[in-house]
Amino acid sequence: MSEPILRISDLSTRFFTKSGQVNAVESLSVSIDEGEIFGIVGESGSGKSVLARSIIGLIESPGQITGGKIEYRNAPLADEFRDAHPDAVNGDYVDLRSLPEEAVRSLRGPSFSMIFQDPESSFNPTLTVGEQIAEAVEVQRRASSNPRSTKARTSSSEYSLGSYAYGAVMPNRSFVSSKSKDRAIELLQQVGIPDPEERVDEYPHEYSGGMLQRAMIAQALAGEPDILIADEPTTALDVTIQAQVLNLLREIQDETGMTVLLITHNLGVIARMCDRVGVMYAGEVVERGTLSDIFDTPVHPYTKGLLGSIPDLDTTGGRLQPIDGNVPSLMDEEMGDRCYFADRCPKAMEQCLEEPDDASVDGGTDHEVKCVLAQTEYDESQALGDSHFGGGDT
Amino acid sequence: MSLADELQSERETSTGPLVEVRDLEKHFFEGDNILDRILGNGPVAIRAVDGVSFDIHKGETLGLVGESGCGKSTTGETVLRLQEPTGGTVRFDGDSILDMAGDDLLSFRRNAQIVFQDPYTSLDPRVPIGETVREALDIHGVGTLEERNDRVRDLLERVGLSEDQFDRYPSEFSGGQRQRIGIARALALNPDFLVLDEPTSALDVSVQAQILNLLSDLQEEFNLTYLLISHDLSVIRHICDRVAVMYLGEIAEVADVDTLFESPKHPYTEALLESVPRAETAERDRDIETLKGDVPSPRNPPSGCRFRTRCPKVIPPAETSIDQQEYREVMHFRELVEDAEISIHKLAEDAGLSGLEDGDQNLNSRETAAFVEEVKGDVLDTDLTGPPERVVDEAIGHLAEADWESAATVLRDEFESICETDNPELSDDSQPVACHLYET
Amino acid sequence: MAKVGIVLLVGVILVATFAPFLATQPPQEQNLEDSNIPPAGLTYSSEEIAFVDGERQTVTNTVQGSLDHPLGTNQLGQDIYSRTLYGARTSLAVGVLGTVIALLSGVTVGLIAGFYGGRVDDGLMRFADIMLAFPALVLAIALIGLLGPRTLEIPDPFVAAGLADGMPETFTLPLTVTLVVALVNWVWFARIARGEALTVREKNYVKASRSLGASNRRLMLKHVLPNSLTPIIVLATIQVAVIILLESSLSFLGFSGTNLSWGFDINQGRDLLATSWWISTVPGLAIVLAVIGINLVGDWLRDALDPDIGGERGGM
Repeated sequence: MSEPILRISDLSTRFFTKSGQVNAVESLSVSIDEGEIFGIVGESGSGKSVLARSIIGLIESPGQITGGKIEYRNAPLADEFRDAHPDAVNGDYVDLRSLPEEAVRSLRGPSFSMIFQDPESSFNPTLTVGEQIAEAVEVQRRASSNPRSTKARTSSSEYSLGSYAYGAVMPNRSFVSSKSKDRAIELLQQVGIPDPEERVDEYPHEYSGGMLQRAMIAQALAGEPDILIADEPTTALDVTIQAQVLNLLREIQDETGMTVLLITHNLGVIARMCDRVGVMYAGEVVERGTLSDIFDTPVHPYTKGLLGSIPDLDTTGGRLQPIDGNVPSLMDEEMGDRCYFADRCPKAMEQCLEEPDDASVDGGTDHEVKCVLAQTEYDESQALGDSHFGGGDT
Repeated sequence: MSLADELQSERETSTGPLVEVRDLEKHFFEGDNILDRILGNGPVAIRAVDGVSFDIHKGETLGLVGESGCGKSTTGETVLRLQEPTGGTVRFDGDSILDMAGDDLLSFRRNAQIVFQDPYTSLDPRVPIGETVREALDIHGVGTLEERNDRVRDLLERVGLSEDQFDRYPSEFSGGQRQRIGIARALALNPDFLVLDEPTSALDVSVQAQILNLLSDLQEEFNLTYLLISHDLSVIRHICDRVAVMYLGEIAEVADVDTLFESPKHPYTEALLESVPRAETAERDRDIETLKGDVPSPRNPPSGCRFRTRCPKVIPPAETSIDQQEYREVMHFRELVEDAEISIHKLAEDAGLSGLEDGDQNLNSRETAAFVEEVKGDVLDTDLTGPPERVVDEAIGHLAEADWESAATVLRDEFESICETDNPELSDDSQPVACHLYET
Repeated sequence: MAKVGIVLLVGVILVATFAPFLATQPPQEQNLEDSNIPPAGLTYSSEEIAFVDGERQTVTNTVQGSLDHPLGTNQLGQDIYSRTLYGARTSLAVGVLGTVIALLSGVTVGLIAGFYGGRVDDGLMRFADIMLAFPALVLAIALIGLLGPRTLEIPDPFVAAGLADGMPETFTLPLTVTLVVALVNWVWFARIARGEALTVREKNYVKASRSLGASNRRLMLKHVLPNSLTPIIVLATIQVAVIILLESSLSFLGFSGTNLSWGFDINQGRDLLATSWWISTVPGLAIVLAVIGINLVGDWLRDALDPDIGGERGGM
């Protein structure tokens, strides 16, 4: 197997809010292989969306990446920066955190692109869908004709005051070239929008939710990215539409061979799409492995709890096995150095008051768990009472 | 005698279903303001619920499942008369709730309650949760203040909160806890019937499981009857005894839960079940035949069967021999023609024709043939053969003269399906289904 | 800035309340001997042509300001300091009372329109829109013409208790003006209350309450009104300032019914602006400070009364 395309190590992202410091992502390490679909699953507040934004450098104040590396394998890029930023380059890998901001920005599109949960608010309602996709194409085109120069993308004449004034007087004259528009039509075709020649000139409100999600995927594909980050791409959609969009994502991944990082709370979506999975809890990846490691032989009590919580579609009745308590707040002052799941864990032991290490299961290479149970058997005499956490309120 | 016993002893019993809904209709009207009337625009009816009938028996859980916009929540609220229906009847314990007023209505309100989806808007942020739960007792003037507060504390404990949280405000609680408060409020008057409107949709799975277990326990303990509204089929399967599937304001199929999930009849039910991704490793290799297109707008629902525009099993006319794949292709083409959604001028140019002016065009047969090929190539995914192809060619021939009307007529005469002319009735047997495939 | 606002507003309220103690002489007392005296510390010289012994001469009159009249006097020799203190009473009384009347009527109408919706809403709100179409001042003047400038004499409790002898025994409230400014301004409250009611009535806690059997009255008073209150309170503060300005305009134009008011005093000094500038400037400044104070407090309230107590959905 080849080297991973993305290697994240010890990544920490914090939010410094009025009410205190929030540790949204906490010393998180994970590697993603080229051409795979890697799933991140977690409940609300587990930090999974913050992880996605951290990777492409979209963390805004009061948030800040406070530590760790995000290494991206790209040999030409590494060569380019080897002299100017020797500390950012390690073999074929480039640490995105050590690159200047404009260099990271120029990677958005050809290297990374992202699709979001809510397609309605991701499109500007006053421009046609076609224009917005063509704009993404245009930006990529300019970037590739003048690689790595951010200036080329934003200061060309199309963005000048003159062109703005011209556009205001002649609103029908779009600033995208017909070449870009043709490419936009092609992209819409690729994501299965019927009659793309007509649809390209329609406004977002004329699209249904499912079609807008397709259009957003088209936009993300404009730069032919190496890595597509999909943050809850189907959460806002009905199941029949979700099935369409998931199938589409699979087809596109098959055709292009791009790497996909899929973030969702829905274990069904993970099972349908992913090769490998990371389970996030309280800002950490608590268990990761292949689909079968996670679904068939889970080790971490949280993973087991999550799987036990889902009602089965194929049997009636029975009792669910929920996880007690609530997702922790991630406030720094409440977090301490211990296993964050211990207060909800049915198998918490004395050792869990110390922070557990990542440990591989059965000496294997890929199935790793952040839990003492990976190496020790549960010992009831060591069990932790509720008293350690001031009683769990549910 | 405690307040709980007192509330309990007022039960009366009768046989027959607890809730009987017949032909329930709720149309909203859009564009009904003064300006619209001055401009002469008639109001547009949105048929949110359009003739829905079902029974809910005592002690059972009926599931109402469907995609967003199918009218399931409106149905739930209309059944409780939180919205006034525009047609149909709802009987509760034999009495029509739509004719109720004054004391009758008040006593119906005691017996029928609702739990909402969004735990963030269902609690008044300015009222302490104890008072929120007590509100029903206050309204109905049950017992002394002391007795009411005792009952509220009992209820809070019963739903898994603690009684000393009485004076806290909603903002201090998590989503799951708020949902518990909402459930306690609904239970305060010891009702017989609860409408659960997406009670767990806003919650994380681990918390959802807690709430589902709580709802099961409460149903057993207080002999409750539930109408569970949800888009989540696994929740429906887990908790319901019978299920009604809704599509665009109508009921497509009703069956008991095992029958529905194991041998669904309606093509929509089948598609819905197939679409849900299962949380198991085999899921990756499962082949899903997805539905085409989107749910049509309830402003302008399709004629005949509401599902026909997405249905993989539309019934071709008996005299035409055409397979389903080709038939769907033709039907899609027909839709485009009827809505005039084919860019004929551009296609004419692509076919090498000089232009396509309305009506006064005399194309020679070679030019027409070129245009026909161009249109087919652009619009159709599969090649047609035999008689259907000839009909389609003829229709495109009309398009070459920019004559949409004739093209549509040609296609309709040949391919009109029973699914677009007749809206199927819900059948009257053990597994009622509204689909022409099951009519004898 | 909020602190500045609070200091100004509290200052105006204190001055208005304790005017009988703070005033140096009754505000209406005239003393033509002492007319047009400048504020303490200033001298004012005027040249006038006089005939002394049949000869035409230019005489220079020099008037020295003194602490007897710290802010000077007007052409009738009335003490401007005392008049400005009493003027605060009129402005504040009309401002607060007018706002309260506007708020009660406006919120009632708005709440009913928003809560019931449909025809009720259409009817009430079209009427409100028509009210808004008139310029406020013109409408106010027309209404005063219709109703006549009635006033209400309210006994001053401090004087009645014998604590401030010599001061006026009653305070004159310009009744018509109070009603008219309320009549002109209720529409704003109606619009805001309606908008809020429209939003709040759709909340599930209102539906839940309805399903528990709550009456419309209960729903409106217990749930809709309390959850609509924040913007109404903020609007009310701003409206006090708006009404004070409107009252000043009306009394400036002579429609007030009382001659003890900031606007009235500005008008008095209008002709002497070039010479005895303080007659208009002092009450003018008083209006500016009061209005700035109230608006600052209004801005602060808007931020302080966060609509979601405790921050909905809790952080992150």
